Amino acid sequence: MADDNSGSGGLNRKTEDDALQKALAAAHAAIWGYGVVGAALGPTRRAPAAAADAAHRDVRDRVSALLDQRHVEPAGALGGYTLPFPVLSAVDAAALAVVLEDGVAAAWVRVLDQAAERSTRELAVGVLSAAEVRAVSWRTAAGKTPVTSALPGLPPA
Amino acid sequence: MPATPALRPPGFSRRTLLGASAAGLALIVTGCTSPPDQPEAVTTKQADRLSAQLGVQEALVAAYAAAAAADPALKAGVTELAAEADEQLKRLRAAAPGATPSAAASTGAAPAGAGAKAWLRQQVAAAATSHATACVDQSGARAALLGSIAAGLRGQDARLA
Repeated sequence: MADDNSGSGGLNRKTEDDALQKALAAAHAAIWGYGVVGAALGPTRRAPAAAADAAHRDVRDRVSALLDQRHVEPAGALGGYTLPFPVLSAVDAAALAVVLEDGVAAAWVRVLDQAAERSTRELAVGVLSAAEVRAVSWRTAAGKTPVTSALPGLPPA
Repeated sequence: MPATPALRPPGFSRRTLLGASAAGLALIVTGCTSPPDQPEAVTTKQADRLSAQLGVQEALVAAYAAAAAADPALKAGVTELAAEADEQLKRLRAAAPGATPSAAASTGAAPAGAGAKAWLRQQVAAAATSHATACVDQSGARAALLGSIAAGLRGQDARLA
């Protein structure tokens, strides 16, 4: 049941589920992308990629279960994805991880924007925060500045 | 290696993240998520809570200044973070035009010297928790903004670690 929240305007279960589907699609893409990141980092430096991969798999499973409970067919992974740039080094791998986390952040900000349920917003703000913390680490590894973002997931004003 | 549908910046598949950022988030920028004939209402409680978060963010901006003053060696390292906190404050003010902070939370004085950084981290983490907590009681663009700010501050906390 949606919140008893008279300030929620046109938000409802449908808007929320649609946003969750996009967040789920982002999780699928991140899981695929971290396979590339981990391979490029090599076995001795793979731990952060493995941890991020596990985090995205957990989110995928939670969102899929939530949609299942609502009798909504969860979005599946695509058959394949195209890398935004060649990943030939550890720096490239970190840069790809930044792209992955920034994309996930955008998807979860949209969930916040479209959610009708308080519990969904709780999930969203947690996932969004975790994505940004990982992104800070990857931006550092990629030599990107600034390493932090004032407003992760939001477009510029 | 599969290589068909798009995985391109700023997200991956255009079907996923570009769709998310372009369609919905453009609406966040304008501060309106509802159709034109269904303006997003703001309850008094939500408006009050957003005003309170203005106070939290103002206190954080002041904390950055206090920490930099207490430990000059820290100043260069936090200038960028302080600017981001200020940017967050501006976005909050834009989302709550006319609002006045209910009670500007005082952060107290920053300890001089090396303790200033640890003190600043505490302020950043507390502000992040406050915004995240407030986020779940908001909706639409206000929830998105507060959630994004909370996440940004979690990132700052990680940076300061």
